[in-house]
Amino acid sequence: MKTTIGIIFFCGLGFLWTPKMMLAKLNGYQQRTVVKKPDFYAMEWQEGIVLNRKPTSFFIEVETLGNQNVDMLVTDRQRPVLYMADICTPVCADGECRLMYLSLYWNLLGSYVGFDKVEGQALTKHDHVEFVKEDYEKLHQLLLDDNSILKRRKIDELVSKPKGPRTDGVDAIAGATIEEVKESVVDGALYSCYVAWNIAHGPIKAELQEYTNTMFDKELMHYMLMSREVDYQMYALNSLSEAEYMEYRDRIAQIFKESIPLVRTYIVQNLPKLFWETDSLQIPFWSSFAEVDINNRSLLLNHIRKAPIEVLVVLGGNLELMTKNQLRLYLSAVESIIKTNPEINAQLLRFSESSNHTYAYIVAEFLEEMY
Amino acid sequence: MKYVVLILCVFSLNFMISQDLLLEAESFDDTGGWVVDPQFIEQMGSSYLLAHGMGEPVKNAKTKVDFKKNGRYRVWVRTKNWVPGKWEAPGRFQIKVNDMILENTLGLRSGWGWEFAGAVQIKDKRNMVELVDLSGFNGRCDAIYFTTSDVEPPSSMKKLAAWRKNVVMEPSVPKVTKGYDLVVVGGGIAGCAAAIAAAEQGLQVALIHDRPVLGGNASSEIRVHTLGIYGNFERILKKLDTEHYPNGSPEAHEDQIKRDNNVKSYNNISLFLNWRAYDAKAVENKINYVDARQTATGEHIRFEAPLFVDSTGDGWIGFWSGAEFSYGRESVDQYGEAWKEHGELWSPKQPDNAVMGSSVLWRSYEAEHKTNFPEVPWAMSVAGDYASVKGEWQWEFSRNDLHQIDDAEEIRDHMLRAIYGSFANAKKQAENANRKLEWVSYLVGKRESRRLVGDYIFTLNDAKSGRTFPDGVVEETREVDVHYQTVLEDDKNPDFISEALFYKTPKYYIPYRSLYSKNISNLFMAGRNFSTSHIGLGGPRVMRTTGQMGAAVGFAASLCKKYDVGPREIYTGYLDEYMDLVERQKYAPIPDSKK
Repeated sequence: MKTTIGIIFFCGLGFLWTPKMMLAKLNGYQQRTVVKKPDFYAMEWQEGIVLNRKPTSFFIEVETLGNQNVDMLVTDRQRPVLYMADICTPVCADGECRLMYLSLYWNLLGSYVGFDKVEGQALTKHDHVEFVKEDYEKLHQLLLDDNSILKRRKIDELVSKPKGPRTDGVDAIAGATIEEVKESVVDGALYSCYVAWNIAHGPIKAELQEYTNTMFDKELMHYMLMSREVDYQMYALNSLSEAEYMEYRDRIAQIFKESIPLVRTYIVQNLPKLFWETDSLQIPFWSSFAEVDINNRSLLLNHIRKAPIEVLVVLGGNLELMTKNQLRLYLSAVESIIKTNPEINAQLLRFSESSNHTYAYIVAEFLEEMY
Repeated sequence: MKYVVLILCVFSLNFMISQDLLLEAESFDDTGGWVVDPQFIEQMGSSYLLAHGMGEPVKNAKTKVDFKKNGRYRVWVRTKNWVPGKWEAPGRFQIKVNDMILENTLGLRSGWGWEFAGAVQIKDKRNMVELVDLSGFNGRCDAIYFTTSDVEPPSSMKKLAAWRKNVVMEPSVPKVTKGYDLVVVGGGIAGCAAAIAAAEQGLQVALIHDRPVLGGNASSEIRVHTLGIYGNFERILKKLDTEHYPNGSPEAHEDQIKRDNNVKSYNNISLFLNWRAYDAKAVENKINYVDARQTATGEHIRFEAPLFVDSTGDGWIGFWSGAEFSYGRESVDQYGEAWKEHGELWSPKQPDNAVMGSSVLWRSYEAEHKTNFPEVPWAMSVAGDYASVKGEWQWEFSRNDLHQIDDAEEIRDHMLRAIYGSFANAKKQAENANRKLEWVSYLVGKRESRRLVGDYIFTLNDAKSGRTFPDGVVEETREVDVHYQTVLEDDKNPDFISEALFYKTPKYYIPYRSLYSKNISNLFMAGRNFSTSHIGLGGPRVMRTTGQMGAAVGFAASLCKKYDVGPREIYTGYLDEYMDLVERQKYAPIPDSKK
């Protein structure tokens, strides 16, 4: 039997109320303010903050239950912080349906960031066992994965059906969940996970980002650039003019030092030329050389020929961090000044004579050819 | 066995005449448990023997050597410590001459070069030389040099090439020249399909491949299953493809037998297994010949033909002959390949040299009894605390300071450290007490390297739009699937694990114009080195699709021969006939000779 996601009929559950009536009865659901950190949440939460729900024109369409509105959460000063929606959605498997309640949160770029459980409406597994804390946490981790295997598979592709003649007559749930899916979904709750993931990562994602974009101004850019959220950093960086790169240069250098490799790469690859032509502007980036990842060290070294001597000297003390090809780049950059710079010369000698470094031989060969 | 006795005059300062002898390790009579590794010849100068014992010392490699003159010889060995550091070198080995182990342990020096093994007194003409592995962890021996002089052979690559040429008195031109209608270089799925298609149309074909078995990434040596659809060429591709088993599965052996037998069944395919091309010469943008060397014996052959197929994967034939090529990621705006949802991970604002990585697949099994695995301190800086008992496609490595061709040995070695380190971590867990390594590939399974430029460059937009072409000879329905290293998102992640981004597309087509070189007039390309952008490669890089490319150029080659024209002229002058020929493949009966 083919299993479908979505509501079928609620006769089996005996519902007489409308879903709206049900929602209204739920204690604590659809509060107009949010004053506590969501139960499961991936961003930083500012203690004491009060966020007010402000309706938007966006909604999530749930079959037979109609549209469920998405609100924006704003501060008292009307600064947008998050989006959220109280979701009530049917989950059907094996011909049996039940309702799933969740309050979902998205950040300003439409990325899922967390959820609240709804009091009295625990999530349940296929066998009606309620989720335990670890199950909720696993669901949260799954929802955070925007590239989950659930993204590109239909529900019936997520279970491996038994082979043989029984295949056609057996509901897919009888088949074992395929291994990769098993690792990422809550055991026994594939359908709930699937429905939740597809709501969190559905069309609403792009709509919310687009909506934020219409509000994007200098204040929001500043907020995002100052944020520790890497998606915000990237979004803000992407919007910067050359003048703004200059204005925010200290913050950008700090992000370069502290953020994830992907954001660092964006920075080093997109810094305006002026930075590489001005010693004082480029030095803060070089000074993170030891802290950043190998890929970004390579990208920095692409600019080594424009680096001031003091940078070359500092790098000379970091030779053990360099890979073979990075060392070669460094050596070709210092080749012409080695003989006149005793400090670099001494660093190279010391390194080449060390027996502990994988690539000491590269420097030894280089010096051998020089002298 | 090949070895060279040479008389070097003026080799030592005192002008003594010395009787020297160079043994290439890969040409040993019996390689024992050592394997011939020809993957990095262009970078380190030669095939070599590798003690790939997965932690258990391999059987000695042995060879008989005749010396012209008795005397005391100093013995030098070209090798390297593949992970220098504060630990005992992982790839240690010794040299045994007759019954004597020479005094120095080898595999200790950083970077490829000569290590002094010791001195030996040669008393008889016939002698036995052996490589004695001490660790089972990938010791490597390129060559052994017996010399009566005191001079150390040169280690630097520049000097070594000239020295070696001089020592082995290698002729600058191969003594043997062979002529064909079509020379296909690279016996992966694309190359095999090209050879079969051309052979079925009556061409005399040479298929040159540097391994003992065909299939490239699909072979039993690398074990990636084939993906994609058959397009117009189901009959041919079914002779070559694989079942959809897990990557790394030993089931690859069955498909290997099928594939090898099928290709060998064509009388007009001259198959050169264990031959690796090392040069291609073009005059006025037309390739005259490709030179190749037997990976063990070192024999040379010059292959002449009016037409060549580059299915080397790395675009070597194009590279040597001066074909335009690209490498790395284009800027997002170059071809308009943005995918907003994944931004810089997908396609960067600025072009860069990042590419999809190479995989080294591996697996283990439950032994009946508890098994030990040695400590591998030299692997831990790569593996960290990652623990695993097998490696699928996600075991992939790419880093922007490493070129997938120039640094392939380092990439392979990095993966070996990741594998041994992760397995050592897994072995510390009680549930893995009986786990034992079953198979670890030592071949780099590449996804992306050089892409030769054709008259048309296939991009994401062709896939997204499902654009049709009058010369659309390859078709595919598989998503565009581009990988990135997960360490880019969090530098605490292991750097050898990747993730895939899948862009769903309608059915799409690749035009014939992406399958021949823009500037080398007689060069086809088929396989991952076809004419595409980095993102464009994401979909059709899988092996049924590359097989379609191969078959398509094989059939085109037959028309080139018929009309005595080059690949481009098939598009400009004979397209209808070509497309008819391609179309007919869907329904083509099995040739009488194959019934």
